[in-house]
Amino acid sequence: MEKKRGETIWTSLDRKATAIAEFTMRQYRTRLSTWVVLGVGFLAISVVLLFYIDAMNTEIEAIDNDGDSYDWDGDGYVNGQEIKYGTDIYDSMSHPGLLSPPIDPEPASMYINEDDYDWDYSGASTVKTGYDNDGDCKDSSLLPSQKDDNGDGIPCNILLVYDANSGTYFVYADPNVDEDPDENRYGKEAQHRAFILGIGKLGFVFLLSIFIPLFLATGIIREEMTSGTMQYMTAKPIARGEIFLYRMLGYLAIVWPYLLIVCTLLAIVSGFMGPGDQFFRFADLGVWFSILIAALLATLVYGMLFAFLGVLWKYGIILALPIAAWELGMALLSMSVPESSFLRMSVVGWSMSIIDSGAYLVWPDMAMFTEAGTWAGGSNPDGFFFLGGGNELPGYGALEWAQSDLGLGMGPYATTVVSVIVLLFQATFFWFIGQLIFKSKEIV
Amino acid sequence: MIPDLAQEGKAEEQQWVPQPQAPVVMFNNVGKTYGRYQAIGGISLALSGGVTGILGLNGAGKSTLFKLLMGKLQPTQGEVRLFGTNPWKNPAPYARVGYVPENENMYDWMTAHEFVSTFARLHGMTRDEAKREAERVLEFVGLTDVMHKKIGRYSKGMRQRAKIAHALVNDPDLIILDEPLQGCDPLARTTIMNVIRELGRMGRTVLLSSHILSEIERITEQIVILHQGRLLAIGNLHAIREQLDNIPHTIEIECKDAKALAKDVLSLDVVHGLQFPSPTKLKIFTHHLGEFHKRLPRIIVDNEHDVMVINNPDDDLQSILGYLTGGLR
Repeated sequence: MEKKRGETIWTSLDRKATAIAEFTMRQYRTRLSTWVVLGVGFLAISVVLLFYIDAMNTEIEAIDNDGDSYDWDGDGYVNGQEIKYGTDIYDSMSHPGLLSPPIDPEPASMYINEDDYDWDYSGASTVKTGYDNDGDCKDSSLLPSQKDDNGDGIPCNILLVYDANSGTYFVYADPNVDEDPDENRYGKEAQHRAFILGIGKLGFVFLLSIFIPLFLATGIIREEMTSGTMQYMTAKPIARGEIFLYRMLGYLAIVWPYLLIVCTLLAIVSGFMGPGDQFFRFADLGVWFSILIAALLATLVYGMLFAFLGVLWKYGIILALPIAAWELGMALLSMSVPESSFLRMSVVGWSMSIIDSGAYLVWPDMAMFTEAGTWAGGSNPDGFFFLGGGNELPGYGALEWAQSDLGLGMGPYATTVVSVIVLLFQATFFWFIGQLIFKSKEIV
Repeated sequence: MIPDLAQEGKAEEQQWVPQPQAPVVMFNNVGKTYGRYQAIGGISLALSGGVTGILGLNGAGKSTLFKLLMGKLQPTQGEVRLFGTNPWKNPAPYARVGYVPENENMYDWMTAHEFVSTFARLHGMTRDEAKREAERVLEFVGLTDVMHKKIGRYSKGMRQRAKIAHALVNDPDLIILDEPLQGCDPLARTTIMNVIRELGRMGRTVLLSSHILSEIERITEQIVILHQGRLLAIGNLHAIREQLDNIPHTIEIECKDAKALAKDVLSLDVVHGLQFPSPTKLKIFTHHLGEFHKRLPRIIVDNEHDVMVINNPDDDLQSILGYLTGGLR
């Protein structure tokens, strides 16, 4: 083809595709229903965001997990101080005040959350970590063999052993090491991560990515066929497969910027609100990016799928609803049994794999961190020192629910690449089937 | 099928070999049934050049015929050819066609200029080309002064003209207009008729449908009559009408003094009956319509009758159909 003057790559591309895409985009913008759907989606996400902001602003009550802030013998010296100086915690006539020189009693608050986790998070399957901050192991009168209860050759530490079968770490702790963690510190971090993963998986990939296409894409071809306006477009020298594809481009031109805006907004708010000393949690942006990618691909696949169902049948939305229900089941399954093979027959399963991969890369300590929540300083309901409200730290439940392992048995990068390819394949497949049916439809 | 990203050529399977000798439009024993209902049956027709009116009552199969031609429907029997190619699942020949659907729904949120230029780009035009062509055709149909107003605010006639403009934007060789005059006011009607006549003069093949004979009559003499999905007559309207002279006709005249006019009209030997529906109305029965119309003006002028309206109520599609179907209806 001879090149005309002023012809650039853009002007040669800027013909049918952009004409239909722009047209479709403007058509969406003129409809009230578009704004209602997008507005409701934003509202739903905002409500969850408000709960998150509220949680971040609420101090989590400190619990004395090891019970050493109590004064059992009533001599004015709390157990923790007595243990430190080797006096009898059950005998009021034995306390550090009788030592020479006498020691003044310390406030009980010094013995709450005084031995937080000092875990050195790493990807290794066996980790020797932990530090006895309050000295009630190092400086105690325990025998050397008792100080190395877990037998790893280092006294007063913690041994973490990864169990590939359960995907969790087993915790083997020497006595009184990291036994009184800071609930607020752990809880905030756990809630923060649970929020990002939960909103990413159920908010973006499930709620927004299914319901927006359900309302916006199902009629993208069908409505035009019903109203008769498809007569105009199908009378032009353009294949119906192209009409289908370019109208989807117009749909994406509305939905993708919307997702980008909502996702960015949440990333900014949670970045500033999130726990930690830093001004902004930059690392979390990696997770938000994977959430965005997952949501963009999910809206693409669902859009193609629902548009195809709309072409297939006048009441395509009826066919779309059971699929939405199936995807909800798959979403929940993905969060509990990420390796289930059912997930391979879904869209959410693959999309959530992308989010899990992102979380795995940004928070490599996730498995250990989660385990720390259930270990809760070694306190358990049967333990002598158990005085907490439960044997789990606050935020653990939410995090355990929101996070899941990489279900594909591959590394995070491979999981992401495979998932992206599968989702793109799904989108192409639904487009291909959709245009095939559209082509053989009579436009009455 | 892979989309053509350069959007300049056609995909492999849509390869379209022009056949210069092929008629623009050809139907070969074409039938279309919807379930048990037969919309059209056994139609054979070939058309090239000139303006052709497709006449038929509602439901005669006019729109079906056009939709078969535009590849929107698949024929249940026979073959349809558009520029020598099968239009079903093949949009390539539409590059040379402009189609004005009967459908009243339009994109009310667009301006006519946006509407026409958007659809121009589907012909592979760039933005600039599309803008230029849109302005050209909108001027052609006389919408230049309102082209930046929303279609939703247009009158019926303006909407029809916007639809015609969008169909003309690719400078097509064949223009198909499905009931282009329906619902239009007299002024819009005249404008649209002029546009269609002008297209005919420009040597385009124009197909238009209508169920009103007088409309078609003002545009073209070449007609095709469809009745109950079948081809009833094809040819010159006047040739068909000549034969109508042999069946009884009614002429209605509105004038100041019906009785005085009746007296003069009775002197004509072709008149065989009179009726007075009201003092200012006269109904005349004749077997020789042509002869009567030849002599009537002289009577009116000679006797200075004040005639307001002359109506041939029978001279419509119904009567032609009645005649052609041998009074079966």
